[in-house]
Amino acid sequence: MEEERKLKCFKCGVPLEIQTVFLEYSCNSLHTDLPVCPVCGQVYMSEEMARTKAVEVEQQFEEK
Amino acid sequence: MQQDGSVLLEKECPEHGHSSVPVWRGRIDYREWRGDLPETPDSLRLDCPNCAGICGEHQQGTCCALLEVTRLCELNCRFCFADGSMPEPELSDLKADVDRILELGGRPLIQFSGGEPTMRGDLPELIAYAAEKGAPYTQVNSNGIRLAEDEGYVKALADAGLSFVFMQFDGVDDRVYKTLRGRPLLETKLKAIEMCGRYNVGVTLVPTVVRGVNDGQIGDIIRLAGALSPAVRGVHFQPVSYFGRYPDTPGGDERYTLDELLAALRDQAGVMPENILQSRCDHPLCGFHGSFIALPGGELVPLSKRGGARAACGVTTAKQNRDYIGSRWKRGPVSEQESASAAVDITSLDDFIKYSKTRGFTISAMAFQDAMNLDIERLRRCSLHVYKDGVLMPFCARYLTPMEESARDAIR
Repeated sequence: MEEERKLKCFKCGVPLEIQTVFLEYSCNSLHTDLPVCPVCGQVYMSEEMARTKAVEVEQQFEEK
Repeated sequence: MQQDGSVLLEKECPEHGHSSVPVWRGRIDYREWRGDLPETPDSLRLDCPNCAGICGEHQQGTCCALLEVTRLCELNCRFCFADGSMPEPELSDLKADVDRILELGGRPLIQFSGGEPTMRGDLPELIAYAAEKGAPYTQVNSNGIRLAEDEGYVKALADAGLSFVFMQFDGVDDRVYKTLRGRPLLETKLKAIEMCGRYNVGVTLVPTVVRGVNDGQIGDIIRLAGALSPAVRGVHFQPVSYFGRYPDTPGGDERYTLDELLAALRDQAGVMPENILQSRCDHPLCGFHGSFIALPGGELVPLSKRGGARAACGVTTAKQNRDYIGSRWKRGPVSEQESASAAVDITSLDDFIKYSKTRGFTISAMAFQDAMNLDIERLRRCSLHVYKDGVLMPFCARYLTPMEESARDAIR
């Protein structure tokens, strides 16, 4: 989380804040806490998370 | 197709005349279930049952290869597909069979069957051999009797690397077992599940569904299986077929079709048909599957949705199918298994990932064919192959049993 605290929104220039967000995939919604820009609402998902947890969820919903 | 949405398979034979057998009863929309699969024209003149092995016209690879390792069994069931005529094979011959299956089948899941395969004391050695030679998954098709009574044997199977057990499990009371298997077996089945759970070997329950015997227990079986997760990985229903050994030749009314099973899952267990996907590896009339998470307490959370992400995309390869069922039926390493918490929030990303790994649950079915309802179009897509005498053959071709004259009379 130390690294995420230093993240700033490129567009708004303000530090990101940890918020609960809802990730939707294939008509399913799961919530988790991620860094979010308090001004424009853009959510930051790290490459590591995209390659691990996001892939695992996709595989569960996508079947084969 | 009839006006009520039911579908009859009608055949004309120059020797035996006309026959008609129901393959769909209109409980679920047939056309929507079948999808865009093109029909196989009669003009191809395919003769799959008489083909010695998988020929160039076959449209699917080997997902699972079944090997009979014994003809012996403690039971004498009313229904049994197995070949009771072979001599007992030597372990060295079975190892050679495994080598040949891996050579022919492209590393399929290997099912050790029988008879009752646990009648062989050397089955653990054979499983270890298959795993060592590169079989990605090994499965034992069992009645559960020895698994319940011989803990050392279960441990040996687990140590050998057995992936999972397919366990005959027809109902939730002994009336069903006495009728279908000739003796009360419920307690034995539950003990076998406990033993397999103790050694982290996944168990999939396999009910043979017979109208008037256990078709009213489909919901009860699902609830019991869900409550026994994660030791139980799912339920694989097999509507009864009439090949090998069966008591009476069925009339059309006795047949239990896939859409009746889907309707029973909805009505008895609250499992909605839209959360069940038709087979895209085999023919849609041959089977289905649905993925779920079994929450502590047994509630099933559906993951699959017909028309969802990839569910409707073309044909699934045998390898994709094998990896899917293998990953669903096999339990993960003990180190990854979380103790079930009462306060699961399955809508949270972390709980979803944790429980989908450890408490995955699959409802599936396979409708085997017999001489009366054999459809070449379905047979041609079969990915479950039986190995014997050096060749792999589609399951329903290998076990096809000639119909008695009385049976032909019954369906005319």
